[in-house]
Amino acid sequence: MEQLDDVLRVVSTPEALAATDFPDDLLVLPLAPDERMVVGMTPFVLPDPHAIVVRDAGWSARWFDSADADSLLTTHCPWEPPSERPSFAQGMVAGLPVKLWQTEERTLVIVPHVFATEFAERVDR
Amino acid sequence: MSGESFEYDGRSVEFEAGDSVLLALQRSGIHPTGGGTLCFGGDCANCVCTVDGVSYVRSCQTEAATVTTVCPHPAGGAPSLPPLDDRPEAPAVEYMTTSVVVIGGGMSGTSAGAAAEAAEERVLVFDANDGAEVLGVYPGPMVVVRTPAAMVHVECERIVVATGAAEIQPVVRGSELAGLYTRNAADVLSRAGIDLGAAAAVTADELGHFEGDDEGRVTAVVRADGSRLQCNSVIVDLGRTPRDALARMAGPGEATVVGQAASVVPTIPNCPSSGVICPCSNVTVGQLDDLYERGFTHMELLKRGSLAGTGTCQGGVCAPYLKSFLADRGGKLQPAFTARPLARQVTLGELAAGSHLPAATRTALDAVHRRLGAQMERIGGWWRPWTYGDTDAEYRAVRERVSIGDVSTLGKVIITGSDVEEALQRLYPTDVATIKPGRSRYVLLLDERGFVFDDGLIAREHDGTFFLTFTSGGASMAEMWIRDWTASWGNDIRILNRTWSMGAINVTGPLARELLADLGLIDPPSFMGHTVATVAGVECKVFRLGFTGELSFELHHDADRSEELWDALTEAGAAYDLAPHGIDALFRLRLEKGHILVGQDTDYDSTPHRIQHGWAVNLNKPHDFIGRHAVERTAKIPVNRKLVGFEADKPFAFEGATAWRGDDYAGYLTSVAWSPALGKAVALGWLERLVDDFPDTVIVEGVEARVVPPHFYDPEGTRARA
Repeated sequence: MEQLDDVLRVVSTPEALAATDFPDDLLVLPLAPDERMVVGMTPFVLPDPHAIVVRDAGWSARWFDSADADSLLTTHCPWEPPSERPSFAQGMVAGLPVKLWQTEERTLVIVPHVFATEFAERVDR
Repeated sequence: MSGESFEYDGRSVEFEAGDSVLLALQRSGIHPTGGGTLCFGGDCANCVCTVDGVSYVRSCQTEAATVTTVCPHPAGGAPSLPPLDDRPEAPAVEYMTTSVVVIGGGMSGTSAGAAAEAAEERVLVFDANDGAEVLGVYPGPMVVVRTPAAMVHVECERIVVATGAAEIQPVVRGSELAGLYTRNAADVLSRAGIDLGAAAAVTADELGHFEGDDEGRVTAVVRADGSRLQCNSVIVDLGRTPRDALARMAGPGEATVVGQAASVVPTIPNCPSSGVICPCSNVTVGQLDDLYERGFTHMELLKRGSLAGTGTCQGGVCAPYLKSFLADRGGKLQPAFTARPLARQVTLGELAAGSHLPAATRTALDAVHRRLGAQMERIGGWWRPWTYGDTDAEYRAVRERVSIGDVSTLGKVIITGSDVEEALQRLYPTDVATIKPGRSRYVLLLDERGFVFDDGLIAREHDGTFFLTFTSGGASMAEMWIRDWTASWGNDIRILNRTWSMGAINVTGPLARELLADLGLIDPPSFMGHTVATVAGVECKVFRLGFTGELSFELHHDADRSEELWDALTEAGAAYDLAPHGIDALFRLRLEKGHILVGQDTDYDSTPHRIQHGWAVNLNKPHDFIGRHAVERTAKIPVNRKLVGFEADKPFAFEGATAWRGDDYAGYLTSVAWSPALGKAVALGWLERLVDDFPDTVIVEGVEARVVPPHFYDPEGTRARA
């Protein structure tokens, strides 16, 4: 797992987040109705004076090609990730909280940095 | 013979391609359990043995070619556990989803599977004879299957049970002999070319009992009419009963039973008048009679009372006889007892496949601590360095020079919004309005009953945002607490838990200011102040605190800069003889200051007054806050026990040691340490009010302890405020 750089955590109202026009080159992952993980550093305007927008250094990640992702999820994911592409899902994988960004070709597996070592040990075992 | 073999009880047993272990043993004239009717259907426990170190394996459903060593179970006893140093690898687990799971690959199962596929449903078929044993059906439904490759957990929409029917086993005198076969077993042996010798065949109506020789082999069958047939083996045909246990594990409407499992009318055998009715648990008819007389008159009760049906075959042999036993006495046929997973024996590894222990979180400095040789311990859900090898030296570094400690584990939350101050006023018992920008304050978190469940800091930023800290391990609970309450109050707030993404290093000791100045912190905050500054090129939120009792600066920063910051502090700190300190030293340092650890020094019902933290509750503020009414009410009640300091001239025995005055229980110690700075033992602990008052001295494990205020070291706080 590698440190996931250029991550912003954005906390705002669901309405403000829905109204925000995030640039296309950003990967915007909806962690919660009031929270986004934004990967990329292109500026954007959020219509909320109280929004929290901070750099977040707490994530590790790794891209898996489709076959490796299938293998990983078959052996470590007790729930069925969405079949649509692209899609975002989050839940327990290998007993740890994980976020999945699935595209046609590959899957980005994002793990909180505090569990990165444990995750690598569990999936490589 | 194929020339291939496995080892059985020290001898070589050859097998043919496709043989099961049991079939190979039978070719060599071996009965793996010594006796009992063989069914070759996986329905009984008469062929179980230890296969490659795993006990209770049904040899009739184990392919011989996959096996190296087979051992019989010891006669009359349980097989021994495998040695600890011979622990097999944990089995893999595979998670699958499908529309239909078909259990049983016979004609009806295959047909059902084909029909489902024709309807464009996704279908998985599992058959024990192909090495895929279904172990249980769980809510969902989820089907758990043991395969040679992995434990397979399948979530599905529906289940088709096509498991066929089991043959009734004889429960008569002599049914423990070798040489007895069900009709299916005789067919299997015949197809394999195994000669049963002079074989007699009996039906249910004909069977009386069996006779055998001194070696436990059958020599004759005695018919119900008294006639006697000399033989080498007996083929029993006593009827059949549906194998529907897996279907009965499923929830209503989840499973469809097809084929013989649905169509066979269960045979209710004649109730035996004596002998063993459940071979697995060695339950006799006499024992059942005794239980029946005592009121155990239903299947479930009889099962629990006798343990019949709870053994290896899970009622495969005895369940029909339990029915006939009760029908004989009650005149009514009762339904089968509840079926629950597991249907087969599993190893602990198989049972745990896919399960994980809760993981302890690691700070961004975890690898650094390990490189430094720290003894790592799990504390508050985190891996933390207990000591780097010399706690006394770590302690002295803090008290005499300068030290660094990893406090990244502290809960860290940002909260803002137009209602943020109102929300915090209701969440905390302090007057938040009086915390100025750039200042912070120690705070308690109270629950509705006024009990302390966490503590930490509130820091007000210049932009109206607040930064909150909590105990290590307390952040998640605190975040939920804040979210729940502010949502129910309808507050306009934003909240972000930054515990996992921010590191924090405590730079503490009388030379801390000099060290940080060397690294660029020219204008450090005053006591309980905070600021944003660059330290060694790393942007930090700097808090001036005093948990250790010395001059202390907590440097909060992005977690991916932690190693860089730690290394810079270590390098620059060499000029000050810096040494890092672990949790062992930290706990001793904070105890000398009388700083509590919530959860260790507090109890489930600790009010601010009981822990002598009434000063942290502002009842004069004009806001209601969580726990206010309880604090006001309990403040009027005399305190019956309180958290106090103890000191003694000799070390205290251990945390948790009880305190006594004479024969009266007077409390217990929650934190103990020997204070090098003070030359005496210090402790926090609970003191009970005795008949007259709180005692001034107590005895703890033979040591006289004086009750004192808990601020042992630098009670004026001049060192931390320096």
